[in-house]
Amino acid sequence: MKRFLRLLRKDLQASLLPMGFLSGITLILMFFTRFKISTGGWPIEAAFASIVMPLVFLPLWLLWQSFQTLRTEWREDTVYTLLVLPVPGWQVMLAKLLAIWIEYTVLLGVTAIGTLLFFAPLVQEAMEILPSVVWALRNGLLLYLIGLALLASVVIFVQLAFVISKMVGRVQGLVAIWTLILSGWLVEKLGVLLEPLFRWMPKLPLHKLFRLDELRQGIVAEWNLAPEMGTWLGILAILVLTSYLFEHYVEVNG
Amino acid sequence: MTTTNQVLVVRNLRKKYPKVEALKGIDLTMPQGEIWGLLGPNGSGKSTLLKCIVGLVNPDGGDIEIFGHSRSRHTKAQIAFVPEVENLYRWMTIRQAIDFTSTFYDDWEEERVPGLLAFMGLDPSKKVSSLSKGMRARLKLILALARKAPLLLLDEPFSGIDPASRDRIVEGIVRQFKSEEQTMIISTHAVGDTEQLFDAVVFLDEGTINLQGYAEDLRHQYGKSINDLFKEVFA
Repeated sequence: MKRFLRLLRKDLQASLLPMGFLSGITLILMFFTRFKISTGGWPIEAAFASIVMPLVFLPLWLLWQSFQTLRTEWREDTVYTLLVLPVPGWQVMLAKLLAIWIEYTVLLGVTAIGTLLFFAPLVQEAMEILPSVVWALRNGLLLYLIGLALLASVVIFVQLAFVISKMVGRVQGLVAIWTLILSGWLVEKLGVLLEPLFRWMPKLPLHKLFRLDELRQGIVAEWNLAPEMGTWLGILAILVLTSYLFEHYVEVNG
Repeated sequence: MTTTNQVLVVRNLRKKYPKVEALKGIDLTMPQGEIWGLLGPNGSGKSTLLKCIVGLVNPDGGDIEIFGHSRSRHTKAQIAFVPEVENLYRWMTIRQAIDFTSTFYDDWEEERVPGLLAFMGLDPSKKVSSLSKGMRARLKLILALARKAPLLLLDEPFSGIDPASRDRIVEGIVRQFKSEEQTMIISTHAVGDTEQLFDAVVFLDEGTINLQGYAEDLRHQYGKSINDLFKEVFA
């Protein structure tokens, strides 16, 4: 555990600079928007844009970051350090995934704090439409957890693509792109293939989970988990495969 | 099977990169407690051989046994490797680099660190990115020598280093090496005044072994120093 935490700490420390930069940019953007709105330069709708913009940009940046965190190890030759460590590959991969999760959490937190700081009246208005503060917090937390799961799946695919590309001597970029496409297709097919095995699972009542009836009566939304289970098992298998390949087959640049 | 005092056995080791065959069937058997010099010009396969041993590249054929075991996580724990490249995290301080490395090895001897830092003239609060090449080479050596690793692999530790750092490194190796417990391979293309370090030498050229033997025997047999022999072989 100590070793895993050290790897995690290393990955977090390495991303401190970009994380601080993005947090700063987000807050500056919000402050600037607030200033422009208060001086009458921009309409009130600009506030939504400055809140939504970081949220749209965040997944794209984290996707890039999941690729970049591995690429930097090779580019700066620190992979020589990483590959000689007597640790299982899953610890290296999981530490990088967890670091991305933490970055996601921090940047979401900064966006939330910025929203409360600079657009408090708008938040108050929104709260009047929503059933309660507890309802908003609860659903926000659920959406955050779903975001974590989706982010994990994307990061795991990127890690596999990168690791496979490092196992070939040439056309590494092309190999990475094709690995991404093929592994995505395979996992999706696996979900369809294994769906009959999970038909016994009850549908997840999203309207109850998100307490949508408190918003408006009569909304019914259910999530059929049966096809998702195979897909998630496939993603888990990809994480295991990537870790194994990283530990046993991946090479430093020749 | 290896006998107990054989640290490293390499049999018919082959490695091919897309444009070059780096190793063309290397055979080596290395006993415990010695310092071996892996000598050869640039591109002779020295680094590839060390990378194969430590697990940074995978051979296309042949066997490697380290203390009688195939390469694994277990054998990684027994090897202290100093690569030729700058493998340190540049944003770390020297202290952070030491703490990071020490976490992963049970044979780490923290009590040796202050002495090594003082000997190598390094300030632990300094950032790796602010160090000169010579200082970074010294730090890499500290990270290897602070361990009681049974097998030390040093890849070109003197490459591009100023004479002062070079002397420090040589002296550091001599002072810290424990022949009753450790075995060391040093690869270099500049033999010079480092030849006194080596118990035995292996001359590598274009992926094959040209000449191999105990340094003293070779000096006696050819009537010249290892450095002169090196110049003659690779002239």
